[in-house]
Amino acid sequence: MTERVAIVAVGQTKYHPNRADASEEELAYEAVKQALEATGLALYDFDAAVSCSQDFWDGRTISNMNIQHVVGAHLSDEDKVCEDGINAVYAGMARILSGHHKLVIVVAHTKESQAEKSLIENAAFDPALLRQLGLDFVSAAAMQARRYMYKYGITPEQCAKVVVKNRGNAKKNPLAQAALDITVEDVLSSRVLSSPIRLLDAKPVSDGACAMILTTEERAKKLTKKPVWILGASNCYETHYLGDRDLAECEALVKAAQKAYSMAGIRNPVKEIDVAEISEEYSYQELMWMEGLGFCGKGEAGKLIDSGVTRMGGKLPVNPSGGVISGNPICVAGIARVAEAVLQLRGEAGDHQVKNARVALAHGITGACGQHHGVMILGSR
Amino acid sequence: MPNRLAIVGIGQTYHTSKRPDVNYAEMVREAVTAALADAQISIKDIEATFMANMETFEAIYLPDHEMAAEAGFYGKPGLKVGTGGTSGASAVAEGFYFVASGLFDVALVIGCEKQDCGDTTAAISAAATPMWGKGATTGAIGEFAKQALSYMKTSGAKEEHAAMVRLKADRNACRNPYAHLKLGLKNLEEVLKSPYLVWPLRLLDFCPQSCGACALVFASEKRAKKISKKPVWVADIETVHQEVFRAGVFGDPTGKETYAQNVACERLYKRNGITNPRKSIDMAEIYEPSNWEEMNLYEHFHFCGKNEGWKLIEKGITEIEGDFPVNPSGGVLATNPIGATPTIRVAEAALQVRGDAGEHQVTKDVKAAMATALGGPNWTVITLLKRSL
Amino acid sequence: MAKKKMKETPEKTPKQEPEYIRIKFNQPRRYDWSTGKYLGHFYAEAKENKKILGNRCPKCKEIWLPPTPVCPKCKVDMGWDWKELPQTGKVFQYTYLVFPLWDPHYGERWANPYASAIIELDNGFYYRHFLEEQDKEKLKEGMRVRAVWKEDYNERGQGPGDILYFKEIGKE
Repeated sequence: MTERVAIVAVGQTKYHPNRADASEEELAYEAVKQALEATGLALYDFDAAVSCSQDFWDGRTISNMNIQHVVGAHLSDEDKVCEDGINAVYAGMARILSGHHKLVIVVAHTKESQAEKSLIENAAFDPALLRQLGLDFVSAAAMQARRYMYKYGITPEQCAKVVVKNRGNAKKNPLAQAALDITVEDVLSSRVLSSPIRLLDAKPVSDGACAMILTTEERAKKLTKKPVWILGASNCYETHYLGDRDLAECEALVKAAQKAYSMAGIRNPVKEIDVAEISEEYSYQELMWMEGLGFCGKGEAGKLIDSGVTRMGGKLPVNPSGGVISGNPICVAGIARVAEAVLQLRGEAGDHQVKNARVALAHGITGACGQHHGVMILGSR
Repeated sequence: MPNRLAIVGIGQTYHTSKRPDVNYAEMVREAVTAALADAQISIKDIEATFMANMETFEAIYLPDHEMAAEAGFYGKPGLKVGTGGTSGASAVAEGFYFVASGLFDVALVIGCEKQDCGDTTAAISAAATPMWGKGATTGAIGEFAKQALSYMKTSGAKEEHAAMVRLKADRNACRNPYAHLKLGLKNLEEVLKSPYLVWPLRLLDFCPQSCGACALVFASEKRAKKISKKPVWVADIETVHQEVFRAGVFGDPTGKETYAQNVACERLYKRNGITNPRKSIDMAEIYEPSNWEEMNLYEHFHFCGKNEGWKLIEKGITEIEGDFPVNPSGGVLATNPIGATPTIRVAEAALQVRGDAGEHQVTKDVKAAMATALGGPNWTVITLLKRSL
Repeated sequence: MAKKKMKETPEKTPKQEPEYIRIKFNQPRRYDWSTGKYLGHFYAEAKENKKILGNRCPKCKEIWLPPTPVCPKCKVDMGWDWKELPQTGKVFQYTYLVFPLWDPHYGERWANPYASAIIELDNGFYYRHFLEEQDKEKLKEGMRVRAVWKEDYNERGQGPGDILYFKEIGKE
């Protein structure tokens, strides 16, 4: 890359189980306003906007019509990415690296409370074969968890430790939706959603929005004292039919991570990354994704969480914000991970700050069993 | 300096009203296979895939995931975009930005729609905001009717002119093996016999609902020259959206609002030093949802003066043999798989620049071509293609 | 598309074209949309006071309806400045729809035929709504119309739907 792209401001709404008081537009605007106020910019300053939302969740075809006004899209360039928000940041980055745009605003929003999750997720599956099985993402994830635990001997206790860690971390994050003081026992005795996934193993329904402003190196230094640089980014698709892949492996994540690492010049993730924000919609996913990201060998994530390396104060804290499992809506989850990484690198993460964070990793997933992964490496220098 | 990029492979399916013989993934695969064959590369050479589709039309949440393996996404980076009628061109824009950024050297752009799977009319109506839509929505047909009435009143165009547009589209479509509607209309009388659906609109004034896919292979300059002897350079792209309520599908009928088409083409022309579009550009593939709108768009894109769009069609200027051919492929009036239509406009314009459009190749030499896309509410994406930069 | 039953006489010569099995999915999905603060204010005033309110941009002074938190043109925060719109105007443009449409959001069949119009309210604002006139011969541009509300308080609360239609003045 001949030029670097910087994130100069982020905005997140406090994630909430039901924001009945706000329309999608107003919710997105709350996040946009925070980013604008931090930089003193106005919506008419932007060259382009990249939005991220899902028509099925908004209940409206062309769901970016909902937020047109609050991203300043009138007589301007806007595009809607239909994957997780981390990919919208990637698209914003491409726009700036291409030289065609210099100042881009990225906004993702979803109000999960307003829609029927299972029915929407069921519609993601192939209508001829899989949809009729009544699958949704929880039951698909349950199959993946079962397979993963069977292949590598990961225990339910190890999965539960992810929940205890993350929901506990959420206590220190004022924007987190559902911080909880719980034990492994609490997780293992919560009711079963789809075996082996229990209620506390799964992320709750959430409403929220996240916005960020991306710009060129030159502009960044004028807009903020602490720009955060995107050092590497990539994403990757997996196959659709659950039987076509070994659900215990996440090849797509391995590929996306390898590409992002090579762009950022990272050879040893655990050594060179100071903090990681991973999208774990279900507890077992944090373990699997850590393996895919190369934090440990295949099947060893159980040992990794047991070792304490990934807790606050450990060598590589994972999800100090509380992660997706503490409440982040679809589309927003990945971009929120980027926002949290930015806060960490700017030293603005308050009580959940990881000390001396200089390089951060953010990760987002879309689809059943993580069919699509996006990885981004960010740095403060 | 942004990287320069070109289209090195073009593929589309034979568009038709129903494709019960293939599933969605298989249909897209046909277009992808054709594009790869045209570029003479394999799927292994593709580094990223960008797809466009309006998922509510087929009622599939995450359609790019569903066809990941068949359409060539598997194991590669990529993403899906959706911006309504302009989705196909938004995917072209993503391909453009990602290749121009240097992140990828070879990318695949796909636009697709399989309208026999779902209820398109309902899905389009669902674009209205649920908390305001009822009174304002008249369905697409109402929008078409309002626009036609406005145009007739302000420009003096007659029904015969609209019929001429349909005749041109049909004649051209009959020369395009991929087009959907090939009616073989012989004269104006045949068109004017078509029943009125809503005055002044006849059945033949509308675009069809098609199933089809279109794929393009983009390559950065250094790869483009190795892959193709006739790369078509994507010189520029401009996306302009509009606030959603007053815009209507064709712009505001009260005439008070700015047309996104004007803003988009003026910006594009200025950036590329174009002061006389008819001189600097040789032909255009525009997104015309109805024949009345085609005449209006000629004016918006400054192919002629205000209220003169109907004169271009009357004088045959926009015919294949004409001075400024528009939609030699038959346009949207002949083929409309919504998610693919904008991509098809770019593909057809690129074929013309390459001289590979076969029977519907325009008579004049095409050094520069323009492809446009339209989505409700009056959003527009314009792409400029050139034979050499 | 119902599931096709097997033909009664399988010994007939097979058709040239394949018969496709068609399976129809009907998946109604429930949504709970929120109007939010801005649209909610319009809804409240319509229900309580039978008023049409738009909000005004502090910079360009244009009135926007449906109300919006950010002025689409100026792209500035709209604040909380509301203006009541007149309830009479003239028909700027109309369309008469004959074939039936149904509301894809609520599944209701709209009555057909019906006339829908852009009405230029007396202050110059263009408002889109139904017209009462069912006879298309009687519709004409420029005719003066007035908003007719649902009189029953309990039936209101549908936002713009609280106005049944615009009726020609002089025909009450």
